[in-house]
Amino acid sequence: MCGAHAAVRHLIGGILEDQAHVTVVDMEAGLEHLSRATGRHVDTLLVTLEPYYKALETSRRAVILGRELGIGRVVGIGNKIRDAGDAAAVRRFAAAHDIPLVAEVPFDEAVRRSDLDGTAFIDVPDSTAVRAIDGLAGWLLAEDAAARRH
Amino acid sequence: MRIAIAGKGGTGKTTIAGTLARLIARRGRPVWAIDADSNPNLAVTLGVPREAHAGLTPVPRTILRDDPADGTGKRKILAVTASDVVEQYGFQGPDNVRLLLMGRVDHAGAG
Repeated sequence: MCGAHAAVRHLIGGILEDQAHVTVVDMEAGLEHLSRATGRHVDTLLVTLEPYYKALETSRRAVILGRELGIGRVVGIGNKIRDAGDAAAVRRFAAAHDIPLVAEVPFDEAVRRSDLDGTAFIDVPDSTAVRAIDGLAGWLLAEDAAARRH
Repeated sequence: MRIAIAGKGGTGKTTIAGTLARLIARRGRPVWAIDADSNPNLAVTLGVPREAHAGLTPVPRTILRDDPADGTGKRKILAVTASDVVEQYGFQGPDNVRLLLMGRVDHAGAG
């Protein structure tokens, strides 16, 4: 166990003592990071499910690790969904591995464009992908409110 | 609520993280966005203007020191308080989302 990772967990925990705060951690792509690091100070793990084999395989392992780390809420986010076939593939995968699928974010060419322009994707007008992520935000806050009532 | 986003590189983790942070903030909650990647990109998807990126200081490894209770010198503890780190290195972004770049310190002495 690396001491730096422990310190980072400690720091994130310290920031988060104020329960009104929502913290969003963008993780390293590698799963090793998830297994050692922030896991213990996280209550919700969102795992991206992109409809191609290697990505889904990585996601499946992330879900297993998240559960092993005792993260209470481990859910899937379908992303870059181009058509009904993609949606069906992601739903099938989520169902087969018992992963609650809480959002399906459609493929949006504007993501690449905003990346090139160095602008925020949120500012793209009328994006169906932004709308889907906003639906995810609403779902997360409702879950948080429900958990705090208990 | 403490949310982490994981998945294979290139699957849109950072785009979702940055956009989600902004949308939660717009719903009225104070939000911290933490970039734990050693190659940080979250500032872009959060909408921090490129001119401001030079002013973003990653949390340095000097916030850590050797744990005196450990003889091996491998265990680290925080050398400063968490609130000092947040005050000194937290960057105020759009919709009042506050950003911390943790990738560098998280990889300090990795292994």
